[in-house]
Amino acid sequence: MTPLAATRFDRVLQVVAGMFVVLLLATVSAGIVSRALNHPFSWTDEASGFLMVWLACLGWMVATRRGVHIRIRFFQDMLPARPWRRTEGMIQIGMALFGTVIAWNSIHLMRTNSDVEAMTLPISTAWMYAALLPAGLMTLVQACLELWRQMRGPPRLGGTELP
Amino acid sequence: MTGLMLKISGGWLLTILAGLPLFASMGLAALLFLWIGGMPITVLPQKMAGAMNSFPIVAAPLFILMGNILGAAKITDRIVAFASAVIGWVRGGYAHASILTSMIFAGMVGSAVADAAGSGAIEIRAMRNAGYKPETAAAITAAAATIGPIIPPSLPMVIYGVTADVSIGKLFMAGLIPGILMGLALMVMVVFVAKREGMGRKPFAGFKAIGRTFMDGFFALMTPVVILGGMFSGIFTPTEAAAVACLYALFLGFVVYRTLEFKQLGPILVDAAETAGLVLVLVMAAGALGWCISISRLPQTLTPLIVGTIKSPIAFLLMANVLMLLVGCFMEALAAMLILIPLLVPAAISYGISPVQFGVVMVLNLILGTIHPPIGVVLFVVTRIANVSFETMSRAILPWLVPLLVVLLAISIWPPLTLWLPRILTGS
Repeated sequence: MTPLAATRFDRVLQVVAGMFVVLLLATVSAGIVSRALNHPFSWTDEASGFLMVWLACLGWMVATRRGVHIRIRFFQDMLPARPWRRTEGMIQIGMALFGTVIAWNSIHLMRTNSDVEAMTLPISTAWMYAALLPAGLMTLVQACLELWRQMRGPPRLGGTELP
Repeated sequence: MTGLMLKISGGWLLTILAGLPLFASMGLAALLFLWIGGMPITVLPQKMAGAMNSFPIVAAPLFILMGNILGAAKITDRIVAFASAVIGWVRGGYAHASILTSMIFAGMVGSAVADAAGSGAIEIRAMRNAGYKPETAAAITAAAATIGPIIPPSLPMVIYGVTADVSIGKLFMAGLIPGILMGLALMVMVVFVAKREGMGRKPFAGFKAIGRTFMDGFFALMTPVVILGGMFSGIFTPTEAAAVACLYALFLGFVVYRTLEFKQLGPILVDAAETAGLVLVLVMAAGALGWCISISRLPQTLTPLIVGTIKSPIAFLLMANVLMLLVGCFMEALAAMLILIPLLVPAAISYGISPVQFGVVMVLNLILGTIHPPIGVVLFVVTRIANVSFETMSRAILPWLVPLLVVLLAISIWPPLTLWLPRILTGS
């Protein structure tokens, strides 16, 4: 991925993630207002659930791109350069495996649930699992990118940078 | 199944210590359990999505958003001015005012980092200008910031409530008295330190000044009243309170104080999404691993062992405190919580300890790790703000841990400190 394409992709990802925060706030607020007006909407709780899964996965993707997921670097950073690099390589392989499993199995879940309609929304419950596909793929791609950099470039202690 | 989970837990711990991101280490541990146990792997993404499909967890991103809005709206200045007018005239007044500000701010934001970052700069500057040592000013700010997740609203309590299946409303109520006690304990400590370090005092500004600063910051000071009042009176649930608080924060920033601009909204939302992503992906992975732990019957095996070894609930609480303090020193608070809840909460319940009391004890234990080296995130924040070295801060913070540990001990051994208020307010 070229730096320009990466920057544009990140920007789009951030805008979409930000929009989901607004949607979530609007949905919960609509639930409160409708209840206060004695005409409670039935769909707000379920819609919040869908939005939460998507927001969590989009936030997961943003955090993956920024390389800020919570991890304990304390012990790894005590290692000399070569073992540090090997450990980092193993970590990225683990991340790639996890991303692959999530992406692959989310497709299976989407297929299984495609004909199951949500209780109060006119959409399939497959949409809930659909959010895991891009998140899993992003984890896989980012791990491969990091692994490639670790193999090509000089060892870098204390974290990785974005393209 | 229990033996398999125990073996996997050992490997899981090693991957965490090796530096694998925590969500992935939990996810891979769950994957390994499902694979070796001959169960369908689709359970992993299914349980991860299922962990998000619950209404109480919606409070988490909304409280994060509210904290971001309040931080950007720069309402702290007014709270500091009010706190200084109220208590700034006693010896070590700026330190007292800093603690009072953190207590008020704790009623608005739900995390120690947000508290330190939101009010830290102005508090430390005021104390340094008054001649306090930079490391003392920073240590007071860091210690006071730990009140943030104890006085409601509290992000760690939302995560605890969702994971341990405990009422978030009751947890919020249970945190109020310990939070106030933490503030008072720190103020007592200030009295001793102020004498020793010769901290000065400024003249009493008068009741008019108190009234003026109160009116000036009225709407900001009403934020905890709106959030807590709405929740405790039953007008809205904690999740709805989070949404109301976001709207109120926007109202303060755009209408009342006009300190917010529309161009700031983009970064606020993206930052909220990213922070939410960091936290929520952990909850998702913990949801999957928690399911695996539950069907492996690990808690049912471990709990009788713990209960058989440690006879009294007090001894269990004290040992759990030591364990949580140690874990909190090396691991991020929310992550540590997600790991410890499935192991410690069933044991606590079997001792007859209320999961509400245990929740507050757990949050306080793990939050103390944020002001303690080597992984003290709040310590890093105040170190940057005060421009002092991390080594200096690591030494300066030690005395300020004492009053907080005293409060921790008190809420551990005397349940009414946490359970009285929820009992009174909910009648149960």
